[in-house]
Amino acid sequence: MTSTASQPQIRAPVRRKEGKQTVSPRAFRIGLVLALGWLAAVVVFALFAPFMGSLEDPKGYSRNVNQGPGWSSLFGTDELGRDMFSRVVWGSRLSLLIALASTAFGTIVGGLLGLFSGYFKSWTDDIIGGAINVMLSLPALMFALLIVTVMEQSLRNVIIAVSILSTPAVARVARAQTIRFADREFVTAAKGMGARRVRIMFKEILPNILPVMMSFAFLAFAIVIIAEGALSFIGKSVPAPEITWGGILAAGSSKLESSPHLTIFPALVIFLTLLSVNYIGNRLLHRSDVRHH
Amino acid sequence: MSSASFLARHIGRRLLWLVAVVVIVTFITYWLLNLVPGDPCEVTLGAGATEELLAECRDDNNFGDNLFVRYASWLGDALTGYFGESYINRIDVSTSLAQKLPATLWLVFYTMLITLLVSVPLGMLAAYRRGSWFDSLVSGTSFGLLSMPAYVLGVILALQFSVRFDWFPLGGYVGPTESVIEHWKSLALPAITLAAGALPIYVRLLRDDMSQNLEENYAAFVIAKGMPIRRLLFRHVLRPSSFTLVTIAGINAAQLINSTIIVEFLFDVDGIGSFLIASVYAQDFLIVQSVCAIIATAFVLLNTLVDTIYPALDPRVRAR
Repeated sequence: MTSTASQPQIRAPVRRKEGKQTVSPRAFRIGLVLALGWLAAVVVFALFAPFMGSLEDPKGYSRNVNQGPGWSSLFGTDELGRDMFSRVVWGSRLSLLIALASTAFGTIVGGLLGLFSGYFKSWTDDIIGGAINVMLSLPALMFALLIVTVMEQSLRNVIIAVSILSTPAVARVARAQTIRFADREFVTAAKGMGARRVRIMFKEILPNILPVMMSFAFLAFAIVIIAEGALSFIGKSVPAPEITWGGILAAGSSKLESSPHLTIFPALVIFLTLLSVNYIGNRLLHRSDVRHH
Repeated sequence: MSSASFLARHIGRRLLWLVAVVVIVTFITYWLLNLVPGDPCEVTLGAGATEELLAECRDDNNFGDNLFVRYASWLGDALTGYFGESYINRIDVSTSLAQKLPATLWLVFYTMLITLLVSVPLGMLAAYRRGSWFDSLVSGTSFGLLSMPAYVLGVILALQFSVRFDWFPLGGYVGPTESVIEHWKSLALPAITLAAGALPIYVRLLRDDMSQNLEENYAAFVIAKGMPIRRLLFRHVLRPSSFTLVTIAGINAAQLINSTIIVEFLFDVDGIGSFLIASVYAQDFLIVQSVCAIIATAFVLLNTLVDTIYPALDPRVRAR
């Protein structure tokens, strides 16, 4: 078995000195508010993007080509005079949609796979657990590239391609969590009362592993945004008129010397979004993980 | 049972597992070719392809045959080192990969070097002063870097150090035989970008592992004996954690290659990642499939090798 199997367990039990915490709870709360606020803003802008003029509407083009950031256009304009702010907002719609769809897919499929392999053990685990480990130890982006190469470039296929990154990541956590709970007293009690295996898995174990899985879904969300960004950075995500963050960044990076603002703002938006998602995911993980208490 | 026969069985099982994984993984990449809409030869060669070339492509690949038959013949060729050739520039995959490999290996080598040189001292100090402001600073910075995809950081670094300051070239790769200085300059930004992605994982896991070592009785004994802190950290804390480094490298290897593909593309480093992306652009999916299969196989082999030699390196694992 590959060494990746032990990744979640590697966290060493660090004994903290009593009354001395690395970061104060207050700072944590401020961070959480900022992270949630940023995500809420991104989502609201994404939802109401059509009110800011459509992506392809020529009326949205300005005469001021390659303008730096200013009051008339917050993020500046690109070489065609398109407003970068509305492009980034339009880009966020697909970036978020793909990430959401792929995370949902990864959480459901990965969760089920992890639950089955963790509960049934023996050969089920040999196959599913083995597959999870192999998937995690291979450079998955390469396979995502292969998938978008052989299949037509479409929203659905991009979601499928990036799901091969999110699914095994969630499955591994679900499996490890299921193994932790499968031998607990309440599971034994349910077995003793003659509960069926399906009932034990879904009514006894699943509710217990859900908190960790949900917090991991945030981290998977970040993984997917990064992967989709990588695909669109090399121009292999959703086909042409549609845009995502990675594509905007790639377009800007080819004009790095003349107009750096085309790169800085999308980069900043991607970074802040990932930071927020990772932060919330980590906070939830710390709360739901009993090993930290 | 004697330990020798146990070992033989262990290695036998390992080999069997290895072969099974390689066959399954390569089969899946091969099977993906079936998803190509329409005639794969026409898609690869494009609209302007001559009839002869189309006929040759179909003849070579037998797309009409059963999938398993085709896979078996592909595998047979692959075992002899032939992975097909590009119908676009007529260069076979093995030759192209051999040409591109040095750039990628140098890049990965410098990335590992930077990662180790930065993560070991940082992890060690953060563990030694755990709970301090330094520890918080390191973990906070790591957290920030974790949210910085390679293509975001790479673009920012290129903007700062190539465009604004003009310290490094804005792309391209120079081999070490041409000019060592230019070679370093050409790979500096890509390697730093990749190292920045690997650092958070290295630093966090090393810090946790080392702070665990510091809690051990032998660490307390070394301190009580009045040994210098340097000796404590390097001999009694770093040494047991050096094996953890191998584990972390294994965990992070796949991620490193993911980022390498993007970073090579971004900085125009003429390596395997750029080759892969160029083939993706050319719709040359016979090549993309072969390259994926080769890299996946190399990874499975590498992982198994590390897992197998691990007990030989670390006496604590052997005892278990």
